[in-house]
Amino acid sequence: MKRECSSVSKLLDKYFDHEVTEGEKSLIDGHLPDCPACRRTLQSMENLRTLIKRPVEEAAEKEVFPWVWEKIERGIRETEKPALWDFLRSWLNVTPLLRRKIWIPALAAAAILILMIAPLLYVKISSHPALSVVEYVESETHNVMVYELENQKVTVIWLFNGLEEGASTS
Amino acid sequence: MDAHELQVISRCQRGDQEALKEIFNQYHHRVYRIAYGVVRQREEALDIVQEVFIKLFRSIGQFKGKSQFYTYLYRMAMNTAIDHSRKMKKVPPSTSDEEEGLQLSDVAERRPDRILDQKELEEKVKWATDQLSPDQKAALIYREVEGLSYEEIAKAMGCSIGTVMSRLHYGRKKVQELLKGYLEGGR
Repeated sequence: MKRECSSVSKLLDKYFDHEVTEGEKSLIDGHLPDCPACRRTLQSMENLRTLIKRPVEEAAEKEVFPWVWEKIERGIRETEKPALWDFLRSWLNVTPLLRRKIWIPALAAAAILILMIAPLLYVKISSHPALSVVEYVESETHNVMVYELENQKVTVIWLFNGLEEGASTS
Repeated sequence: MDAHELQVISRCQRGDQEALKEIFNQYHHRVYRIAYGVVRQREEALDIVQEVFIKLFRSIGQFKGKSQFYTYLYRMAMNTAIDHSRKMKKVPPSTSDEEEGLQLSDVAERRPDRILDQKELEEKVKWATDQLSPDQKAALIYREVEGLSYEEIAKAMGCSIGTVMSRLHYGRKKVQELLKGYLEGGR
């Protein structure tokens, strides 16, 4: 009898929650009339359920909800726009391709590529010598053009006349 | 999930507030019961209902239809309610000699000579359920208030049926010990 009680008590929660099999139910139904301890356990579970559930049911019955909906509508209106990240995330969820998070390595690859190319572009642009000063003097016999290369501290004086051309630097 | 519900969810995902209202009309009682079951206080429960539906409107895009919608909503309601419950001040109830030995049957029979004030009893129940872990509390509310099956609770909590049974068993045991004086005898 005691062994049976021990095995039945393990099933009491399931029995109380109507989750036992037919076989288990028969076993417990047969055991309960002779076992006051198991009956007390079940009664205690029933009382606990009543204590937890009844005030909730009573409160729900008394409540009027239309004004709650009005508050929800107001809440939606008043709340700020979704954060930028939420917006981006919802936008990125649009296509199945983006949903697979392929965009994460793609963005990383693009960033690396830009970092690699940017110095090359900079070098190419900055290697071109800048002509900062240009002076041009015309006379009857010769024309003179003066350039100054700012970076290299070099002045170019270009003397020319028609077909004849000459140049000197200083 | 029926076709109509899918359609309403889809409209809500596109930002249609009328669709949200339909969802609200269908589920607000259940969300309120979960909220009240956890916090056991009217104003707080109503705040939770409001917060849950605003949250739902913002995040319903994440619902992919892989699970039942109600389990998705229940989980959101339970998590929000438990967050509120954590923030609420935990005050142990007062105990007097007179209250000792009072039983649920006294409350049920409305005996004015021995009746424990309903509000105080509610505070005791709240205090006792607040002693549970969030998972035990959630399992208990899902089962005792909403009457969900073990399988439904497992889906809502994202765990196995065995885990649900364990949470329910130990949760009940703990609350029964804490409310011993009120549970013995019965009606």
